[in-house]
Amino acid sequence: MAIDQTTDRRVYSADDPIIEIRNAAVTYDEGRSYVLDHVSLELERGEILGVVGESGSGKSMLASSLLDAVPSPGHLTGEITYRPDGEAPINLLELEKADRRSLRWEDISMVFQGAMNSFNPTLDLRTHFEETLRAHDADIKKGLGRAEELLEDLYLEPDRILDSYPHELSGGMQQRALIALSLVLDPDVLVMDEPTAALDLLMQRSILLLLSDLQEKYNLTMVFITHDLPLVAALADRMAIMYAFRLVEIGDTRDIVENAAHPYTRALLNSTPNLDAPLSEMQPIDGQSPAPINMPTGCAYHPRCPLATEECRTEVPDYHEVETDHGSACYHWQASYDEVPLLHENSPGDTTGGVDE
Amino acid sequence: MGSSIPGSNRVIPMKHTESDTGSEREFSFGAAQSEVEVTTADRLREFYREFIYKPGLVAWEDRRTRIGAIIMGVYVFIGTIGAWLYREPSTNQSPRSLRPFETLEAPLGTTGSGQDVLAMVIHATPEMLIMILSGGIFATGLAVLIGTVAGYKGGTTDRVLTTFSDVMMSIPGLPLIMVLAVVVSPERAAVIGILITINYWAGLARSIRSQVLAIREHSYVEASRTMNVSTPRILLKDIIPNMMPYVLVNFANAARYVVFASVGLYYLGILPTSVANWGIQLDNAYSQAGALSGGGTMYQLVVPMIAIMFLALGLILLAQGMDRVFNPRVRTRLAGESGSETDDEDTAAPTEVMT
Amino acid sequence: MNNYYIKRTGRAVLTLWVTVTLTFGLIRAIPGGPLEMLRARLVRQGVDPSRIDAIIQSRQQESQPIYVEYYEYMSSLLSGNLGESFYFREPVSDIIIDALPWTVFVMVMATIILFAIAVVWGALIAYKEGSTFDTASSGLSILLSSVPFYVLGILFVVVFSYKFGVFPARYRTSPGVSPELSFLFIQDALYHAALPIASVVITQVGLQTLAMRGNSIQVLGEDFVRVARLRGLSDRRIATRYVGRNAILPMYTGFLTLIGFNLGGSVILEEIFTYTGIGYYMFEALINRDYPLMMGIFLVITTALVLSVYIADLTYGLIDPRVKSGDSNEAY
Repeated sequence: MAIDQTTDRRVYSADDPIIEIRNAAVTYDEGRSYVLDHVSLELERGEILGVVGESGSGKSMLASSLLDAVPSPGHLTGEITYRPDGEAPINLLELEKADRRSLRWEDISMVFQGAMNSFNPTLDLRTHFEETLRAHDADIKKGLGRAEELLEDLYLEPDRILDSYPHELSGGMQQRALIALSLVLDPDVLVMDEPTAALDLLMQRSILLLLSDLQEKYNLTMVFITHDLPLVAALADRMAIMYAFRLVEIGDTRDIVENAAHPYTRALLNSTPNLDAPLSEMQPIDGQSPAPINMPTGCAYHPRCPLATEECRTEVPDYHEVETDHGSACYHWQASYDEVPLLHENSPGDTTGGVDE
Repeated sequence: MGSSIPGSNRVIPMKHTESDTGSEREFSFGAAQSEVEVTTADRLREFYREFIYKPGLVAWEDRRTRIGAIIMGVYVFIGTIGAWLYREPSTNQSPRSLRPFETLEAPLGTTGSGQDVLAMVIHATPEMLIMILSGGIFATGLAVLIGTVAGYKGGTTDRVLTTFSDVMMSIPGLPLIMVLAVVVSPERAAVIGILITINYWAGLARSIRSQVLAIREHSYVEASRTMNVSTPRILLKDIIPNMMPYVLVNFANAARYVVFASVGLYYLGILPTSVANWGIQLDNAYSQAGALSGGGTMYQLVVPMIAIMFLALGLILLAQGMDRVFNPRVRTRLAGESGSETDDEDTAAPTEVMT
Repeated sequence: MNNYYIKRTGRAVLTLWVTVTLTFGLIRAIPGGPLEMLRARLVRQGVDPSRIDAIIQSRQQESQPIYVEYYEYMSSLLSGNLGESFYFREPVSDIIIDALPWTVFVMVMATIILFAIAVVWGALIAYKEGSTFDTASSGLSILLSSVPFYVLGILFVVVFSYKFGVFPARYRTSPGVSPELSFLFIQDALYHAALPIASVVITQVGLQTLAMRGNSIQVLGEDFVRVARLRGLSDRRIATRYVGRNAILPMYTGFLTLIGFNLGGSVILEEIFTYTGIGYYMFEALINRDYPLMMGIFLVITTALVLSVYIADLTYGLIDPRVKSGDSNEAY
């Protein structure tokens, strides 16, 4: 069942990649099934990449793989290369324990979903910052200064936040404090896994705005992983769509939103709310996405796809180049324009925050 | 009854999800909502299937539950058929101070007054089982009653019942039982069981109350309430079945407490000696132990000790096994093989597409 | 915030009041009542039967309405007067003052030791969950918990005291050793307390270990532990400040409650070891139907349990920042 989608590199390559992922795969049962099925991807230095997938599509696995932090007993294979600016590339999966420990948070950092559970409830926030700095042999005083600046950037009062215990802060405050904590060691890459899932719409929007400010100010490369396509469309430069543990489409945000070339992406766009479109026009996708143990042969989407042919049922499709830097893993991407018409005009700017699952 | 559901033996193809791969089994105890009125027999059958058969099957999967159940089975056998078949102990029924394994007449030896040790152990079992049963039923029954009513009713009822439980909980059990035993001098095993758990229920009632508070938030209870169903009905149909596993675990714990406390009381000689008990054997053997410091009477101590320990072991194994299966808090992080530990969101059973 | 403390204080006072009233009622519920007890005592003292009748008669005449008796009972208790022991012919309060420190010493030591072992052992097996070490330890824990502490106590006395004679079988200290702050005294006290402490520790450590194991496993699965690892914190810091601290918290109240609970268990334990603490005197009182002593010790043990729960409630806020802000643990 394992496939190799590396044959056509053009669609996911970047000019100046900061992270290259080749055939990243995660298995929990010695290769009988995959919860991340040989994904290849390149991350452009300084970009914001949005990864969209529904629950159980493997997107959290992709996020964890970027830090080689797949929860045990999961096994990660493939090649993940980190290219620091002007330094020799580092192969993440071959790092010594100590090097891996310093790479995490110093170079590549991560924000999990559910900030409430990311802090130790018995320690105050200042301790969280201090122990992180100490663990990486950083200057505590300078580091705390940076933490205060970050908190201010996130519209929080540094003194009040640092002297608080996690439970004393609201969900939105905790989430922003967690973002500050993830950036305290000045990393190059920030991976965020559903960072806004537990927040209300207003807070989601404001955190999104703050993130794009931070990205500019600190020259960050960001990976934003979410189930909420419209939400990330307003922020991301490029988007990657995941379905059943594989990447099915990748391209510039505008191309994905306005000119999606995979029947799944198009169905996804039709199933998400849009301010311009009445609710009655929303169309859920019939059927369920598969579990790793029960993956269909060929294209994993074929049982739900109106365009599926014999070819789709047997062969896993390769990327097809729709335009430059826009690829779709579908044999019938051209037909999808007519067969799965978009119900409403989309553009990246006018999308709303979407509705919480 | 001929009301077997048509097509009940139709094989329904199961859709495989991740949770089938691991040993982690999920039940929803709330799955047995019956929106449509059904007959009592159907409901009983449904109740049996959802709350006894299925959880029982899962509990049986755990090795500890299995061993515990077998041990308990052995005691029930000894306490019923064994006590019926084997002779009753009496003084001078055999030669005095026989060592174990010397004669077939008294395989585990005799006491200084010629009583068959094995007979004493066997004939103390029925009363012990009655004590366990009455104590367990009293403690869990009262706890469920007070806990659910307090948690469900809220307001003044809750405050009064909770304060009552708190006060009962703060009175040390063993001294209270001892003082009561001296004053009441209970003779019947069933009464002794209740006496021992006289305030044991209080802690359980408190935790049941907080669980009821949590369950109350569940939408289906909310729904029953808005549909104007009476409180006792909601308690009986929705809330109590949800707590059955938890109650069973605590039943086993209460039973173990009854074993420990009753043997202790008999050992001290506080309870009337009209009921045969392993504690009396311990006391008799121990009072001779000093005189016979060579350890010649060790077997008289060891035999009842083994009887106590195995019974306690069976009850602990039952409690631990059931707790492990039913209590998601204790369920191990390795249980879900598909890595459901920190990745709940991604490996959760596939749901409808977003929004 | 204050509401929480007022509630807890009220509960403690209420419990003590209920217990006092209970003992008052029980003394009157005893077959024969206080006058029969008095007669029995006088008979034992060898008083002339006709004089006994006269005394009882006069007592009956001065017998007062129950609420007056209750008031007198309460006020004498509050002034520290617990009556006089029939059997030992000493004020109950004197007996308790002499005996209580020894029992508290044994039980507090035992509980501290068993919790220390349980915390370390439980955390270790949680880290090695699923290993042979885990299976063996969990099995051993269950096995140990199926032994009542008094059964082990009896075995200890028979084996270590009678058979091998390596530990004393009775009393708090050797004859001639007086309580003073000397090495000899401390050594002798520990020597006599060793077996009672060991039998409590060994039989109770199992369940606490399993509780710690369960808590630790749960905490190990928390997101904040995973994030802490990614943040590069040392394993040691994660084990102590993250896993340990959060796993011990739920056991804190149980720790103090267990001390109180064990004070109750001292009745059986001290009878076995003839260790003259309050449990031993309670046993003597029970056997000899010495009601003033019985009720006095019962009140003291109840007070000790109420106090330990009260202290647990008051200090929990100091170790768990989450309860500071109010009665958030009220539901548990």
